[in-house]
Amino acid sequence: MDKDSVLSRRLVVVAILAIAMVILPSVTSLPTGVDYGLVQDGCNCHSTAASDSVTASIDGVPESYNKSETYTLTVSFTGGPGTEGNENVGGFNLWTSAGTLTSLDSSTQLNSPQDATHAEEGNNQRSWTLEWTAPDNNESNIEFILHTNSVNGDGSASSADMWNRAEATAFGFGSEPLEDADPFKVLATLIVVSLVLLSIVVLYVFYRNNPDGFEWDRFAPWIIEWLTSTDHKKIGTLYFVQGLFFLGVGGIMAMMIRVQLSSPGNDFISQDYYNQFFTLHGTTMIFLAAMPLIAGFANWIVPLQIGAPDLAFPRLNALSFWLQPVAALLIFTGVFSGAGADTGWTGYAPYVVTETAHAGVSMWAAGQIMLVASSTLTGINFLTTIAVMRAPGMGWFQMPLFTWSILVANVMLFLSIPAFGVGLIQVLLDRTIGTAFYDVAAGGDPLLWSHLFWYFGHPEVYVVIVPAFGVISEVIATSARRSIFGYKSMVYAMAGIGLVSFIVYGHHMFTSGMSPTLRFVTMLTTMLVAVPTGIKIFNWLKTMHGGSLVYRTHTLWTLGFLVTFTLGGISGMFFPSMGMDVHLHETYFVVAHFHYVLVGGTIFGFYAAIYYWYPKMTGRMLDEKLGVLHFLTGFISYNAVFWPMHRLGVVGMIRRTHTYYITTDDFQALPEWAADWNMMISVSAFLFFASNLFLVANMIKSLIRGEKAPADPWGGWSFEWMTSSPPPTPSFDPNDIPTLKDANEHVANEPGKIGKWFQRLMVADDTAEEGSH
Amino acid sequence: MAGVTPLYDAIWEDYIIWSLFVGAIAFGWLYHHSFFYRSKDGESPNVDNLEVGVFPIDYDNLRLEVAWVILPSLLIVWLTYISWAPLDAVWSQTGPDGYHGSECAEGESSDNYVDDDGYVYSACYHEISIVGQQWFWNMDCEDLSEDLCSTDFSTSGGETRPLLNLKVGETYLARLTSTDVTHAPKFNGFGMMEDIVPGQVTFLWLPAIEEGDSLMLCAEFCGDNHAYMTAQVNVSG
Repeated sequence: MDKDSVLSRRLVVVAILAIAMVILPSVTSLPTGVDYGLVQDGCNCHSTAASDSVTASIDGVPESYNKSETYTLTVSFTGGPGTEGNENVGGFNLWTSAGTLTSLDSSTQLNSPQDATHAEEGNNQRSWTLEWTAPDNNESNIEFILHTNSVNGDGSASSADMWNRAEATAFGFGSEPLEDADPFKVLATLIVVSLVLLSIVVLYVFYRNNPDGFEWDRFAPWIIEWLTSTDHKKIGTLYFVQGLFFLGVGGIMAMMIRVQLSSPGNDFISQDYYNQFFTLHGTTMIFLAAMPLIAGFANWIVPLQIGAPDLAFPRLNALSFWLQPVAALLIFTGVFSGAGADTGWTGYAPYVVTETAHAGVSMWAAGQIMLVASSTLTGINFLTTIAVMRAPGMGWFQMPLFTWSILVANVMLFLSIPAFGVGLIQVLLDRTIGTAFYDVAAGGDPLLWSHLFWYFGHPEVYVVIVPAFGVISEVIATSARRSIFGYKSMVYAMAGIGLVSFIVYGHHMFTSGMSPTLRFVTMLTTMLVAVPTGIKIFNWLKTMHGGSLVYRTHTLWTLGFLVTFTLGGISGMFFPSMGMDVHLHETYFVVAHFHYVLVGGTIFGFYAAIYYWYPKMTGRMLDEKLGVLHFLTGFISYNAVFWPMHRLGVVGMIRRTHTYYITTDDFQALPEWAADWNMMISVSAFLFFASNLFLVANMIKSLIRGEKAPADPWGGWSFEWMTSSPPPTPSFDPNDIPTLKDANEHVANEPGKIGKWFQRLMVADDTAEEGSH
Repeated sequence: MAGVTPLYDAIWEDYIIWSLFVGAIAFGWLYHHSFFYRSKDGESPNVDNLEVGVFPIDYDNLRLEVAWVILPSLLIVWLTYISWAPLDAVWSQTGPDGYHGSECAEGESSDNYVDDDGYVYSACYHEISIVGQQWFWNMDCEDLSEDLCSTDFSTSGGETRPLLNLKVGETYLARLTSTDVTHAPKFNGFGMMEDIVPGQVTFLWLPAIEEGDSLMLCAEFCGDNHAYMTAQVNVSG
């Protein structure tokens, strides 16, 4: 069939539907009866509003009914212009939610077994009799809805005609109102369903690629290999799958939060559950989704980029990963025990150690201590690998920028996360064996937690964003077919962000009685973050200058990142200004800001990374059409979710509350439109959630029947594009590591003074000699 | 009531103008380059001859790079400068050097007023006390007379909450303490908030410059009924 005939058929169908819609009301108008579908919002055949002078009634509806029994019903009306003796007195429509109606005489007729109306002969009556047979079970309650007309008899519908409505219910035996679902069960079910789906997908893809793989002789070694592997690529994949899975779980919790917030005073989930959901949402997204996604790409790409056969400590690397799922189980224990952590991801003391906080907080703290251990080991591993295992020819300043970003991020993480670990251990001890680090009555200091947490917490958010900077630098240079503009200033900017990150954390504590001098210092340092970040944004933009930008999905996500991250950066400048911060602190303006930098920054950056490196990782290309669809739907719905939150914050909507107050006659609170905006945000949030299914579909489709990927599909320069797709194991032959050439006239392979000193610090002399052979 | 301080309004406008300025540069640039410099055939040319295994040729321009270190830094200095002065006003000290003078003697009035830049000045101030506990606000007018400050309860929408009545034109200094965990009263009508950490006393200026009834919420997560930990503040003549 050609396209034109398909089109004309569609047009015919549309035309028929349009005609039917025009004709339908006249078909069901008087005197032939009324269709229930037309009267739900009031009888539209006569005057528009219900009238009190007409009284409709249904008689014979049993209070509780027996199954399959037949009852005789009488429907009638009194009042209105319809008087006995008129040729045309009135009519009715009776609808029931279950069972069957039967017409007894010619004064009534059925539109459907559950919908009866008068017939032309019944026009001159004020009451009608029908039979109703109950359904063959009596578990549910059955509703009856009656509409009656009282008409003046002139034969045409006019405003002199009147109508009204009546309802009745027949209760079933043993019918109890449905129990409210336990939100935890809902969440746990969704998590389990997601896990099952994930397993099915993995097994299906495995089957498609290896139909004989399920024979035990083949399957056992395969699964054991995944569970015990120390190969950086396999561990990278495990991190990657874990990250995406928890991105979905965190997303499910976000959706439940959004349903609750869609209208003020909503009771979808109680405050008790809501508090746990936003805590788990934050913890999951940062520690179990964003960090593993980053670790996944770092594991995969860094050794490939620097020409290393594997990481420096492959076993330590496996340990780092396997701590993660165990930690996740601990953190989620609360979901399955019914009393999860309800402290917010910041876990402010002293609330976190009080009795009022849930028992699950102990498990939450224990789980995070394991994550601290995991991150510390990862830090050691990457710092060592990058310091000593670079290919010949690759000085510090020939490292690809993604590797640089991972180096900077791990330095920050390695130096900051011990503080968090200390704090968590104190919390755990306070909660379990009764120490008094945060017990005010015993001389504990709640602000200590704030300091320990934010000393880690602020570098942490840069730890999450800096690797995305690395990805964007790689993608934009490759896509524009250019060298990155200002390579060295990019590196210095990243290092600058790393340095400044340690001295800005005070801005989280502006409103906790801090000394005025410190307030000023922190304000200045916080503002200073904009300088290195600005350098990076301008460098990226300048990279495109004079280039030839090739539009692929990862290019789109990169441009999208530049938009959203710049917006997030600008909104971040409002907080250090205290005159505004005292108002914006803890409002949705903050929520909007950090979602703009964490979703619009980190997640968009790593979406770019997925489209960019996935062919390298799996050896198969992703579908560009699905990718573009993912970008368009995701980018638009994302902005529709978080952009309006800025305004909600400015008008004073507080975060971390399960309800919000709209202005009433008694007091001024949020303006009325805030409720509509929240509904709009919730709807968009579901669209954003759904848009990510395109990515999942794309990845599965690519694994099953994606095109084979060449070694260098995008034309990048760094070492990972030199190996085959997917790369062999070990990734590079240890006896034949490639040498990095330098396109510049001056060959600057030797590290600088600081670099030499650092290398001497890191490598024992004999190894250094071995390397120089 | 505006919901924000006049001071906030003044800084906000400056910030929005600078945000638009920076946004216009960044997005104009991005928009232009992403269309003007797009590849015509989706592949080439390979402008800088990127080649696998070869570190690409340098592409930099010291002058430009220094320019976009210096210019944003200047903007930062300027923004810090305009945000600096309000610092003194938001956490003003008491006494003759502060914005609100010393504590009022009995019968004395604050007579506060807002100047053109959004700063509030008062002749003297009245001290009140607010104690936070899970999940309730305990407000105390201390020695103040009934017309200056009174407390009560108000019921609306099925919820009963503490009510604080203040007088317009008067400036109050709230002494904040908590008996259990960290709370933070956020006065919607005043556009102000401050944390109250148990074991610590913090202070918050509440200049009543406009009449109106507004809600005060808890802005620091404090447990189960955090969202219901509200109070009503009425400012009347």
